[in-house]
Amino acid sequence: MFERKLKALGYMEWDKVNGNNTQHFRKVILWLEDQKIRHYKIEDRKQLRNITSPEWPNVFEKYCNDVKCPITKNEAGQLEWFIGYAIWLEFGDDCKKYQQIVGSKAKVKNEVKIPNIKSTNPLDNLDFDNDAFTTGVNSIAKLLKVPKHSDHLVTLQACSKLVCNKLNADAIKQSNNVVSVKGKPLTAMTIVPSFNMGDIMLDNAAKGLSLLYIQDLRNLQTKINETIVAVQNITANPKTDTKLGKVGK
Amino acid sequence: MVVRQYQEELKYLEKINEYCWRIKKGFQPNMNVEGVFYVNHTLERLMFEELRNACRPGAVGGFLPGMKQIANVAALPGIVWRSIGLPDVHSGYGFAIGNMAAFDMDDPKSIVSPGGVGFDINCGVRLLRTNLFESDVLPIKEQLAQSMFDHIPVGVGSKGIIPMNARDLEEALEMGMDWSLREGYIWAEDKEHCEEYGRMLNADPSKVSMRAKKRGLPQLGTLGAGNHYAEIQVVDEIYDKWAACKMGIEEKGQICVMIHSGSRGFGHQVATDALVQMEKAMKRDNIETNDRQLACAHIKSQEGQDYLKAMAAAANFAWVNRSSMTFLTRQAFAKQFNSSPDDLDMHVIYDVSHNIAKIEEHMVDGKQKTLLVHRKGSTRAFPPHHPLIPVDYQLTGQPVLIGGTMGTCSYVLTGTEQGMKETFGSTCHGAGRALSRAKSRRNLDYKQVLEKLEELGISIRVASPKLVMEEAPESYKNVTDVVNTCHAAGISKKCIKLRPIAVIKG
Repeated sequence: MFERKLKALGYMEWDKVNGNNTQHFRKVILWLEDQKIRHYKIEDRKQLRNITSPEWPNVFEKYCNDVKCPITKNEAGQLEWFIGYAIWLEFGDDCKKYQQIVGSKAKVKNEVKIPNIKSTNPLDNLDFDNDAFTTGVNSIAKLLKVPKHSDHLVTLQACSKLVCNKLNADAIKQSNNVVSVKGKPLTAMTIVPSFNMGDIMLDNAAKGLSLLYIQDLRNLQTKINETIVAVQNITANPKTDTKLGKVGK
Repeated sequence: MVVRQYQEELKYLEKINEYCWRIKKGFQPNMNVEGVFYVNHTLERLMFEELRNACRPGAVGGFLPGMKQIANVAALPGIVWRSIGLPDVHSGYGFAIGNMAAFDMDDPKSIVSPGGVGFDINCGVRLLRTNLFESDVLPIKEQLAQSMFDHIPVGVGSKGIIPMNARDLEEALEMGMDWSLREGYIWAEDKEHCEEYGRMLNADPSKVSMRAKKRGLPQLGTLGAGNHYAEIQVVDEIYDKWAACKMGIEEKGQICVMIHSGSRGFGHQVATDALVQMEKAMKRDNIETNDRQLACAHIKSQEGQDYLKAMAAAANFAWVNRSSMTFLTRQAFAKQFNSSPDDLDMHVIYDVSHNIAKIEEHMVDGKQKTLLVHRKGSTRAFPPHHPLIPVDYQLTGQPVLIGGTMGTCSYVLTGTEQGMKETFGSTCHGAGRALSRAKSRRNLDYKQVLEKLEELGISIRVASPKLVMEEAPESYKNVTDVVNTCHAAGISKKCIKLRPIAVIKG
């Protein structure tokens, strides 16, 4: 029943323990207290040691209370708890050492796990560093007029962003409706003021970042406004009463 | 005040460049930093004349000259960088109107002063655009002006037409424009295009006296009197086409509506209550100032904190007030043009505050510091890329709305990087008084003022015609001089010029 655990704890007669035998039970409990749990001082274990005494069950009950064993009736259950408790203490004493230990089967399992996943998504099986793939990404970028980055995966990310934001169903619908937008397009780089760090490239990078930040902020503000309007639909009730009005002197 | 001859006084003044003067330490006692003021040739003459008049033997009464007030502010504890006078600077209560002063939040001695904010807390300007053109409006100009006059109550003692009870007011004070949004008076985009998103988060209505609330309650949604107005304006000139485009202003002749108003009696009461508390705090904490009107308290003191919380509530009041008038304006236009405000594209371009104190981050001597920036008669003008300006203006810089005087033009400027460095992102707020109210009443005739407006083709609806000479263009500095000085000095950049075709005021 508890063979493996008792063996691990180093109990000499681990293979002979019978949980239903009172003497066996008492012996194991005493051994656990003596060797592992050590809740009482040695001199206080006297009564517990006297395993043949008729008083033993009372002593054991007190012991259970002292170590806060939650199981009161079933002896086998109690034994299981005490063994588990002893293991928990043993592990706590030297957890660093035990943490590294991985069961031989688990080890094998882990090793097998990774290569064994069969992906249903064909994209996952692509070789992203393949030359063919790189060329493909670059030709998509060229089609979409996305500037090339030295890392083709970054280029791919940019392409995906553009497709998601500008080529989704809603955006395409809108661009068909709005025939011409009033006003002249301005180059972003000429209108952003107040960066002068002495390096044009650095200034441009700062401008680009600030434009992206402003776009994020605008989206956030729009969401806030939408939320306010939603709440207003419930709370708003503007009133005027011209009878109250009075023009002063 | 130190009494010196005019010639002696001049020794403390030094011209830094064509548009900027320095006030050296010693001009007034205990100056912690220097003062500066921005002027062009014409404005310079006005400033020096004022100083010369004050130096004449036997000159008593009235406010101190603007230059002296700038210097007195430079002597306040905890002030950093400079006490700055903008081109429209003129004497006010304690602080000059058109003065920016910033105090280090980390300095325990730093102060907050109600005089540095002004009595009309969060007085400010809001500009709405439309897709209408002058030719659409001219035929029904009179009806439109009348319709706006009917919708927006004006004048001293006016009462608003938006029903409010005491609980609504408490909520509005705490929530600012979020209250107007919740109740459905304004659009979500209005909040986006407003300084602070139309809500000071530290507002605490429990720090506001019952008296202030009683005064404020019936006044929400009213314009008030004095220099406040609502104008229908035409785009007269576009200096920066691209920035104007970002604000939805495409061509000359486009119609806009400008609303200039504040926190009415509510803000006035908050300021008055605070001044009483501050005088006590000054005695207790031994704070010394050159002028009794500069009553103040340490920022961290109970009085200082209470004032900042009450001021924030008053600021929220002003935003709700301008929002309510935005709603009424949209209604008036929709009725006259038989169209919805949406179809008329009546969006808020921006909403600025020019009487307020705010906690901001600025660079002082190369170090980032947290400052309490007082802007009295001074508009915030943040540069492009500043995180506190709306996303739509990230590239242009914050729109700065400069209301002119009755019958003269108004301007839209944008904030600049140079302004951020020199004036902590502050610029002028309007024309700035040249004659006192009393003097205007003595020197001008109200009939002539009204006739002159008529000659210019400006419809006017006014609650108390006999007071219009106080607000006549002759009583003010020339707003074009003021704006050109800001542009030339580089502290903000000209974008749009607007000319009025109809005015309603108190």
